[in-house]
Amino acid sequence: MVNAAPVAVSVSADAIVHAILALGVTHVVNVPDTHQRTVLAALAHESRIRLLTACTEDEAIAINAGLWIGGQRPFLSIQHVGLLAALNNVKGIAMDGQIPTCMLVGYFGRDVTRTARDNAARAIHLIEPTLDTWGIPYFPIEGPDDLGAIGQAYRHSLEHLGPSVILVGAPTS
Amino acid sequence: MRRQAAIAALVAARADAITITTEQAIGAWRAAVPEPANHIPDHLDIVGCMGSASTIGLGIALAQPHRKVIVVDGDGSLLMQLGSLVTIAGAAPANFYHFVFENGVYETSGSQPLPAEGKFDLHEMARAAGYAYSAQFDDAGAFASAVSRLLNRHGPVFVSVRTEAEDGFLVRSSAGTRLDVQMHALRERLVG
Repeated sequence: MVNAAPVAVSVSADAIVHAILALGVTHVVNVPDTHQRTVLAALAHESRIRLLTACTEDEAIAINAGLWIGGQRPFLSIQHVGLLAALNNVKGIAMDGQIPTCMLVGYFGRDVTRTARDNAARAIHLIEPTLDTWGIPYFPIEGPDDLGAIGQAYRHSLEHLGPSVILVGAPTS
Repeated sequence: MRRQAAIAALVAARADAITITTEQAIGAWRAAVPEPANHIPDHLDIVGCMGSASTIGLGIALAQPHRKVIVVDGDGSLLMQLGSLVTIAGAAPANFYHFVFENGVYETSGSQPLPAEGKFDLHEMARAAGYAYSAQFDDAGAFASAVSRLLNRHGPVFVSVRTEAEDGFLVRSSAGTRLDVQMHALRERLVG
């Protein structure tokens, strides 16, 4: 049997943290995502960013809003199922409040030999259609060449005053 | 105690704190302050994201550590996102004051009783979650005489304010300014 070539390949945590730092991010609000465990480990040792952990993604989006209202430059790290769980606050705070809400979202459990839309797991193949339905822009990272997506998504959230999503295709290394 | 009496005591003690109200507290706060509704300085009325007033307040408190942040919450709202007690305790903002008005019902939808009403204790939950201080009041006079001291404590402080169920008029009549207008105006005042 021949193994299928991966569609999504890993990106290093250092590269992702470097990209976040370059944006002047002050706080990363997270609900821990297994897919991004190396990013969270790196952020835990990064003195220039405060890493805040929330119990739910709804809370994380609310904290992000408060930080932005208070003049900080927050950023979110969550899992794809957490994004689905938090749609009430994506609408009620990020959209209705017109709050820059940039979310780094890990596709935990994705079969990396298939595109996200072709994955058998419902929670994975429904993410992009859900974001399309809600009109939320998303920026996939399928490998190191896509790291610019972090800056694009962050700037989009600031310029358009609303949510944006960075979809992390493979577990970070 | 009557909700309006407790709100009046809190308004009198607020000084220059940033204030955030939600659900049952919005109309009562508007009735108690001297400023016109929708023009209360450094204030947010949170609707449309039930349970999130306290975590929005948490973010503001962390961003503005030299300003006190008072969140006036409801029991049904807090139960929507009960884990926020632990999140707030973990972040441990010293300038955060969480007043939860407990009337035991979902007032806006017709005063249906909360699940397990009379069996749970939010004051003890906040203490167990790790708030720096937690207290409970069911007498308006005792609350009024304590509120200034509460606001001088090192936060996060949790205060359960047990009130009578009321007719909901102030809640039903409290439609206000769009959330984006409020949030951007507050950011402008805080950051410039």
